[in-house]
Amino acid sequence: MRSILTIILNDLKIFFSQRANLPGLLIIPVLLTLVIGWSLGQIGGGGPTRLRVDLIDLDQTSMSAKLIEDLRSANDAIVLCPLDNDAEDFCRLREEPLQLERAIERARTGRTSALIVIPAGFAAALEEFEIFSVDYYSLSDPMQPGPVLQSLNAVLQRASTASMTTGVAAALLTNLTAAFELPPLETETLDGFLGALYLRSQEMLTEQPAPVRFRVADAESASEDGSMNGFNQSAPGMGSLYVMFTVLGGMAVLLRERSQWTLQRLMALPLSRAQILGAKIGVYFSLGMIQYFIVFAVGAALGMDFGSSPAALLAVMAAFVLCITALTFALAPWIKSEGQARGLVLLLSLSLAPLGGAWWPLEIVPEFMQTLGHLSPVAWAMDGFHDLIWYNGGFIDVLPEIGVLISASVVLFAIGIRRFKYE
Amino acid sequence: MQLMVEARNLRKTYKRPDGSTIEAVKGVDLEIRQGEIFSLLGPNGAGKTTTISMISGLVEPTGGDATIGGYSITKEPMAAKRLMGFVPQEIALYPELSARQNLAFFGRMYGLGGKELSRRVDELLEFVDLSDRQNDRIDTFSGGMKRRINLAAGLLNSPPLIYMDEPTVGIDPQSRRRILDTVKLLREEQGMTVLYTTHLMEEAQELSDRVGIMDHGEIIAIGTQTELTQQVGEEDRLEFIIGAQEFEESLAEGIQQETAGVTRILYNPPEQVSDDSSESTPSRLTVFAKRGRTALPQLIQNLDAAGVEIQSVAVREPDLEAVFLALTGRALRD
Ligand SMILES: Nc1ncnc2c1ncn2[C@@H]1O[C@H](COP(=O)(O)OP(=O)(O)OP(=O)(O)O)[C@@H](O)[C@H]1O
Ligand SMILES: [Mg+2]
Repeated sequence: MRSILTIILNDLKIFFSQRANLPGLLIIPVLLTLVIGWSLGQIGGGGPTRLRVDLIDLDQTSMSAKLIEDLRSANDAIVLCPLDNDAEDFCRLREEPLQLERAIERARTGRTSALIVIPAGFAAALEEFEIFSVDYYSLSDPMQPGPVLQSLNAVLQRASTASMTTGVAAALLTNLTAAFELPPLETETLDGFLGALYLRSQEMLTEQPAPVRFRVADAESASEDGSMNGFNQSAPGMGSLYVMFTVLGGMAVLLRERSQWTLQRLMALPLSRAQILGAKIGVYFSLGMIQYFIVFAVGAALGMDFGSSPAALLAVMAAFVLCITALTFALAPWIKSEGQARGLVLLLSLSLAPLGGAWWPLEIVPEFMQTLGHLSPVAWAMDGFHDLIWYNGGFIDVLPEIGVLISASVVLFAIGIRRFKYE
Repeated sequence: MQLMVEARNLRKTYKRPDGSTIEAVKGVDLEIRQGEIFSLLGPNGAGKTTTISMISGLVEPTGGDATIGGYSITKEPMAAKRLMGFVPQEIALYPELSARQNLAFFGRMYGLGGKELSRRVDELLEFVDLSDRQNDRIDTFSGGMKRRINLAAGLLNSPPLIYMDEPTVGIDPQSRRRILDTVKLLREEQGMTVLYTTHLMEEAQELSDRVGIMDHGEIIAIGTQTELTQQVGEEDRLEFIIGAQEFEESLAEGIQQETAGVTRILYNPPEQVSDDSSESTPSRLTVFAKRGRTALPQLIQNLDAAGVEIQSVAVREPDLEAVFLALTGRALRD
């Protein structure tokens, strides 16, 4: 073990003593993170395009259903959980029921943007034109209402306006029948009429363009400071891109070590082949992690979010670096020259990164490109980072992503280790 | 006498990128005794490096095995490798690190540390006379200086056995002298066993107790220098450099019959020195004769009569070059 560490430290020392390595490790990724982060912040591309909102309907009436329907159309970024959950379990419910307690916990820890509870008796209260309350739980600052609360307010306002219309109409009818001494209307007829009136006024209010339509993409409504969000995308994205550049660059270094015979000299030492290989894998894994730390440190300095689970974040980083390290060792045996290695590094990094959503979030590209994108390990890493950074997820939320990356690593290592060229 | 290295029927077949195979080493048997300097002498591509790589555990043999101090290199590689130091033909050092950093790293890999390590590194820098340049990066060193650090790196664990694969390739005569003296010193002062490979007859002749002559992946002769030269008999060797002209086998046969004492005549036509050079070696005629000096006048006469233009002639006593020539029909330097 000591020899392995000695080799790793020595190789890192060599890497850092080569001045030509520093622009690729430090300067360019940092600059790109800044530029992409600010740009994404300006156009609002740095945040989630979908908002996870838990909704518990204790009323279960046609009126509450109507409210939910309105909420959906008021802001198509809102995904109501569990109602509108998709096949990929965007709601992260993991097939467990969503009771009030769990939903409150989810909102409190920031895993959802908000929790909306429609109370029992909501419809009745509306009909009776009584005061009712819809419970709203969220981490966002009530003084600066987020997109969910704004949408909810708009929808509720419409509901109560409609309810008021019916209330006024009912009062008017009662007064009129009294004034003209007409026989009082049968309750059934009255209810039917008022019900129809409620729905009609709702419809009219809906057809009328809402005074404000909220979209998450509006930079101002996405967070307190739009530019911050940009780094939530650009730091993990550029970090992952440069992890690929740095780690895949190992293909050329392995080749050089064979041609300059330092690898052979190691083999003449009393070391097993497994120790040598383990050390070399350790070197590129360490370099990848260092690369991530550099870019994330810049993100941190600019107020990037890290979510609430540092351990999970570290695990996603490690899984991605491991996967790229494995890819490096799987490809290395086929490389014949340093020029060929450099070309392959460029080709892979520059295709896998955008495909996997390192430059812009995959959520804004067409469905089939998202599917295709998941051929790239970057997509899985970015999914994990988004889960943690945008949605405050925990370890368990990123297990699928980590699982995919580790499985790929195992397959790639199996190829790379079997084919590793010692001679 | 105890054996330090014993190789039995070592074979190595390499695959070429185009799928064809090359038998680099074809069944080598080798015994190196404790405390001796053993040279493997052979031209480029003879299989010297491949042989050394197999008996040092760098390359897995296609067949056969070797023991180092009794430990099998294939079955107990760790124990075997602890007994040996290795000086590869290439400068196997990290060019980005200083001489001292290189030595310290490889020393640490042998489990040295702290004061012990730094004392050993100081000693070796002193030994190869590069203490004053110890903190300079290897890539700023001259070829000869690199060679010396390369050698020092093989001595870190004070091994009883050291392999040196053409340690004088590509350096000036002064540095070569220094390295040859170092090799002798290692054996005399520390009793090291040395396996030395070279394609230069003079080096093998100066250093070795015993020599193995290698060609085309095989050891074609092995023994002390006296034993080897006796193989070619008491014959002297007359080397003629002749003008560029056709020289036919029948002519050689005729001259051999007409000149008393001549046993064999070899003709080496001119050859290009290297692919990208227009220079070429001169035509050479090598004549083996019982009493060379006596045969010379008649030989010159006969060659003259046959119309061969003689540019120079040299008489050589039996040596390793002669052995190689006699066994392969080619000069060692070709
Ligand atoms: N890794 C390899 N793959 C394919 N062929 C090889 C490999 N290594 C050596 N060979 C071939 O094996 C033969 C022996 O090579 P080797 O390096 O052992 O010779 P050598 O005696 O050390 O020569 P030199 O004096 O030039 O160092 C050569 O024909 C060489 O081309
Ligand atoms: Mg060689």
